[in-house]
Amino acid sequence: VNVLIIVFTEMRDKLRKWREDNHRNSEQIVDVGEELINEHASKLGDDIWIIYEQVMIAALDCSRDDLAWTCLQELKKQFPGSQRVKRLAGMRLEALEKYEDASKQYDSILQDDPTNTAARKRKISILKAQGKSAEAIRELNEYLEQFVGDQEAWHELSELYINEHDYGKAAFCLEELMMTNPHNHLYCEQYAEVKYTQGGLENLELSRKYFAQALKLNNGNMRALFGLYMSASHIAASPKVNATVKKANVKYAAWATNQINRAYQVTKTNQLPVEELLLRSS
Amino acid sequence: MSWRRWLAMGEVELSCLAYVKMYLHACLFPRCSVNGLLLSSSPAGGAVCVTDCVPLLHTHLPLAPITQLALTQVDVWCAQTQQRIVGYYQANACVSDSSPTPCALKIADKIAEQCNNAVLLMIDGGKMSPDYRVPPIVMYERKDTRWTLKDKHTIMLRQWEETRDIASQLLDSGDHSLLVDFDSHLDDITRDWTNQKLNAKIAELASPANGNV
Repeated sequence: VNVLIIVFTEMRDKLRKWREDNHRNSEQIVDVGEELINEHASKLGDDIWIIYEQVMIAALDCSRDDLAWTCLQELKKQFPGSQRVKRLAGMRLEALEKYEDASKQYDSILQDDPTNTAARKRKISILKAQGKSAEAIRELNEYLEQFVGDQEAWHELSELYINEHDYGKAAFCLEELMMTNPHNHLYCEQYAEVKYTQGGLENLELSRKYFAQALKLNNGNMRALFGLYMSASHIAASPKVNATVKKANVKYAAWATNQINRAYQVTKTNQLPVEELLLRSS
Repeated sequence: MSWRRWLAMGEVELSCLAYVKMYLHACLFPRCSVNGLLLSSSPAGGAVCVTDCVPLLHTHLPLAPITQLALTQVDVWCAQTQQRIVGYYQANACVSDSSPTPCALKIADKIAEQCNNAVLLMIDGGKMSPDYRVPPIVMYERKDTRWTLKDKHTIMLRQWEETRDIASQLLDSGDHSLLVDFDSHLDDITRDWTNQKLNAKIAELASPANGNV
């Protein structure tokens, strides 16, 4: 009996951790969550409601409409008229590709509560799912005028712009994110990648600076390390730079090469020597 | 007469290994667009035989640095293993749209510079369920600087049913998570983007001992 209790608490704690970390490991959540709900519902107390919500969303991700439906019904019974549950019903309609109905659902939430950000964001997700990128971008821009602090929205917008090859605007979004999250190495690195893609000497130099910054914040960021190597090499090879700049960038590239080689040596993988890359990119 | 002799110019053969890894790559990241390179261990000239593939990215496909890096590394690896880059594949996140994106065309163009009968392969997300009777792929070939749809009849997949079953088996067993793309390699450089482990598993399932020819 004790073993069963341990198993039960382990499962419940796993679900909580995944919730807190906002993991989208939907198959695992469905596995663990379904068992928990079916076998141990009585032991969960009030936790059960948030677990129903978590499992329902994961079930939608795995095309388990049967499970999603069950969870939704329980939540509807317990919280009749809840906006939060209404949003879940909308998500289910999205999963079934009933986009018109889903949109109506979110509109009805917004009628009662025009500041409901979740409903607005779901509507934008529908546009994205339908491939309506230009509209999604427009709506998201409007949303951000009102909710300028929404990090997730800024990042989503940067992704949409990248997919549309609008690198200037993607860079702007990432600048916002770097301002409000100065210690986030991923934003620095993504910004550097966008600048590198835009090309031209000025952008390359900016990209090198931000790859370096990302490394300062996290020296294990391999993308930043490779990015530093590549941007510095390209700058050094450019006919437009003076001898001083060239020399400095040759040094940066050499340092990066060294770091890359060290990283690969430590892992003992038979990686190709970076000198090969040097030959190729020049 | 060998199979290869049957293939005429303009035909493309896709090996089990290449197909299965591409398919699993798309399955591993269902919410992302994914891409990769198609390789051949056959000599140039004549029909294109895609014998392997290298899965590349599942994030930020249009951005340059990691794509350039990956292309260079795969190029060097190919030189060492007597393979050539002969094409490019992509699966779009948006399942209803299997047309090549600008970045797909750009990379395919680059490959075509080195390989004049390069192929561009798009995975049709809407047709990927196991009960589909034909491979969920659409191929493009370069005709006068433009990529045009290739005649389905010139795309050969030997033993399609066995190949399809191998892919399904690996999905069911969860082994598709063994697949490493270049993005994943950069997240953890101990992971092998040449996928030796997965290749071995696929070879095992494809071997005559398992009832496959």
